[in-house]
Amino acid sequence: MLTTDARQIRITEIVCDRLELEPEELAETDRFVEEHGADSLALIGVLAALEKEFKVTIDQSEMPRMAHLAGVREVLSETKGW
Amino acid sequence: MKITAWSALSPYGHTAADFTQGVRDRRPTAALVPEEEAQLGCLVPDFDPRVVLGKKGTRDMNRVTALAVTAVGSVLDDGTQTAAGTGPDTALVLGTTTGSVQSMTDFTRSSLTGDRPYDVEPGVIPNSVMNCAAAQCAIRHRLQGPNTTLAGGRAAALLGLLYARRLLRAGRARTVLCGAAEEYSHARTWLEARSRDDAPTLLGEGAAVLRLTPAELPTAAPPLARVLAVHTRHAPPGSDPADTIRDTVSAALGQARITASDVWSATGSGLDTAEDDALDALFPRQTRDRLPTLGPLVGDTGAAASALQLATVLAAGGQAPGGHAVITSTDGQGLVAAAVLRMERPH
Repeated sequence: MLTTDARQIRITEIVCDRLELEPEELAETDRFVEEHGADSLALIGVLAALEKEFKVTIDQSEMPRMAHLAGVREVLSETKGW
Repeated sequence: MKITAWSALSPYGHTAADFTQGVRDRRPTAALVPEEEAQLGCLVPDFDPRVVLGKKGTRDMNRVTALAVTAVGSVLDDGTQTAAGTGPDTALVLGTTTGSVQSMTDFTRSSLTGDRPYDVEPGVIPNSVMNCAAAQCAIRHRLQGPNTTLAGGRAAALLGLLYARRLLRAGRARTVLCGAAEEYSHARTWLEARSRDDAPTLLGEGAAVLRLTPAELPTAAPPLARVLAVHTRHAPPGSDPADTIRDTVSAALGQARITASDVWSATGSGLDTAEDDALDALFPRQTRDRLPTLGPLVGDTGAAASALQLATVLAAGGQAPGGHAVITSTDGQGLVAAAVLRMERPH
């Protein structure tokens, strides 16, 4: 298992990869949809990629909270098996 | 119906100019396929979707979609196109065989081999449906008119001409972008080799798109060519395909109100000996040889085959303004199509 810091870096990498952004282009509270033009398919892609990488299951009802990186980290930290 | 612009992505290169040069030289393009063992293919050289189209919106884009999006972009960007050319008056008719076999099989495999059946990438789901390429073309180029995917195998672009003519006649569009795209892939090679007895040994890929407008609508520049006739038939199993091909060509010539002796060039797909024989019986050698037959040069380019055949005529238009060109296509499963074009001016 990755260290906590390494996992946080990995979250950034996965989100940036799915949203076609460089890590320096995405601030913690940048909103994926409003500020980076992500569509709903990209958002579900973020969720699926995180589930696969960290072998967790994220309830889709959490998606509204996963609107930016900080939200993604918060949801993941509350996820069973994290 | 007239043709006012065209684009081609082919094993000769990314541009219409590359294609024109390649067919003029009749240069064969078979080469070893990267990452395949001793497999020859005719790929569009150096075609990396993320390099050609940029990194935005291309992460999950499959090859056939990128080929189509690029070819549509090229035909819109030929220097004569204005903003009025896109929007609700511009339709797209895009030919395919089955969409991307590679995307379909990759997606299915990922579900079967992942830790959990739903450990799949949602972003690639659209790639596995047949109309992905046409849809992405519309999204990226803001084509808001009717959006059609025609699954017609090698003859797809000729079927597309018929569809385009109906759209224009019905007033559903003032401009139709009509063409076809096919990707080379490992999955397609595998499937083609096992799907029929006379499977092509050399596969190619590419895309070509024509811009079509109604004959009566004035255009700023004179058209490159006019589509005088398109005719399709089906050769039932057990029948002699040569009969059907001959009847199809005769019907198309009749519609165009010309005879075989008026034809400057007559070319087939070059992928079907019955087609070659039927054309040889109808037209003199000189007419048959004026333009190259693409099959031996660029392989079986699937749905792109008839689109690239149309492009071959347009690339040569300057050689014979006013000349008539006949194009035929067969899909190996009974479908036969023929088109008659009149060339108007050089590209």
